[in-house]
Amino acid sequence: MRKGALKKKQRQLEELHLDRCEALGELILGMYVQGSWDEDTMSRGAAEVREVADELDGLKGPAEEPADSAEVDLPPPGEDTAEQSLPETGESARRRIVPDPETPETSEHTREHEVASGPVAAEPESKRSEPKKSRARKRPSGPPAEISDSKPPEVEVPKAATAKPQEASPVPAAKAEPAKPPAPPLPARPPVPPVPARPPVPPVPAAPPAAPARPPQPAPTSPAQAESEEAAAWQKKLDELDLLDGKIGKSVSEARTAAEAAKAAAAADSRTELSAIARELEANRTNLTSTLAAAGKRLNEAKKRADDAEAKMARESAASREAAAGWVRGQAAEIEADAALAAEIAASPADTTEVTDAAKLRQAELEARIGSLEASLEAEKASKIEALTMAESRLKAIEESAREAERRVEEAEDSLAEAGTAPVAVEAVSGIVTEAEAREAAVTWLRGQIAAMRKEIVKGGDTESQGGA
Amino acid sequence: MGLFGSGKQSGRERRAMKDHLVELDELRRTQLRDLGEMTVEMAKTGRFDRERLSDQARELVGIDRESDLIAHGLEEGLTLEQLEDLARSDERPAADPGK
Repeated sequence: MRKGALKKKQRQLEELHLDRCEALGELILGMYVQGSWDEDTMSRGAAEVREVADELDGLKGPAEEPADSAEVDLPPPGEDTAEQSLPETGESARRRIVPDPETPETSEHTREHEVASGPVAAEPESKRSEPKKSRARKRPSGPPAEISDSKPPEVEVPKAATAKPQEASPVPAAKAEPAKPPAPPLPARPPVPPVPARPPVPPVPAAPPAAPARPPQPAPTSPAQAESEEAAAWQKKLDELDLLDGKIGKSVSEARTAAEAAKAAAAADSRTELSAIARELEANRTNLTSTLAAAGKRLNEAKKRADDAEAKMARESAASREAAAGWVRGQAAEIEADAALAAEIAASPADTTEVTDAAKLRQAELEARIGSLEASLEAEKASKIEALTMAESRLKAIEESAREAERRVEEAEDSLAEAGTAPVAVEAVSGIVTEAEAREAAVTWLRGQIAAMRKEIVKGGDTESQGGA
Repeated sequence: MGLFGSGKQSGRERRAMKDHLVELDELRRTQLRDLGEMTVEMAKTGRFDRERLSDQARELVGIDRESDLIAHGLEEGLTLEQLEDLARSDERPAADPGK
């Protein structure tokens, strides 16, 4: 029983060890996935696993020793015990121990038992302390008392004798009981003649069998001597029974102690398990908090980046608008100047054959001015095209940053979904989503601006070509 | 109705996926135990070799990914071919989070 309890406990510890190993592996895996290694947590987890492993080792060590000792202490298998310490059959036991209630030998036997119980009581402490031993000692003294009441004791004595090994192991009892023949009637036994001058039997030593301590007697010639021998043999059996009872009591107490120890260990285990679960919960909570903090930090960073991008875009759009307005104003002034020049040229007489030098000079001056205007217009156009290209590339960059911000928002939402929903984080996410929408609207507006600028450039080119014509 | 509604998953494929999922679960537990024992050994020496731990954890991440894929295939009723296509489309070099 004790061995079984130890094995069960060992199995439980092995399962606990495996579970803790897995939990530690999960912890390490979580650290790997998050990319944050915490050596303190790893050390704590390893210490928990090692604690269980140590306990398991400690259990494995002594588990072998008590098993052997139990085998040594416990009586051999029930068959042998029954054969050695008990009378083979109920009949023979009755023949040996049950005296005739009519004869005075009965009292002698009773006295013998009482005398013999003295040295047995002086046996070692371990045997004396067992409560069953006193009960066992009472049992042999029972039959004489019953005999004095002239009741047939045969039935009780063999029962007491066979009841002993039943406590040790049920197998011998089951085997011994069927061998018990039905009790023959007591009066069938021949009466024993009284032996008044019989010397008292010396006390029987305790542990070893009482036979060697008995004074040498001559060969059994009379029935009284035969009776005394039977009584001595019965005493020997009783002593062996006492020994056996002591051993059984010791084994039972050991088994009880082991069961209590196993119960206490199980309670300690449950406490350890509870504390481990509490620690795991605490670690999970810490991880969750750190994850939430990291998610909040990422959200703040994304918000800051979105703000920067929006401000930059607003600045750039304002600059582009200003440049476009300046260019349009310049174009208008040039067109007005060209129109005035054309009107002046048209107002002058075309069929004049005599061209004065001043007019020639003015014409040359005008041509030079037109050339310079055309060159400046070309340069302006080139600069506008360049600005347009730059604006397009800027637009692409802004779109890229917007996509990046959206991706970050999605990541933040994912991490929030993993870490659980927090109201502050949800507000931050909704704010960022609104900003992303605003950014998208700004990009759309910028696209419209670029298209308008292109139209203006085309229009400027048409005007120039018309002016040139 | 699954994502890929054209093919139909056969019972054999479903059983094979379930068996494979069980195998992957056992393998995952074994790897987790190994990882835990490795950590205990490292704690004994007082030095944690993150590279070794990362290698072991990377294998576990791969097992998890494969388990997710199989579970997805079971949920959506994908055939093995569709699952293979899905696995190939999902194969991309991911950044190592442990480093």
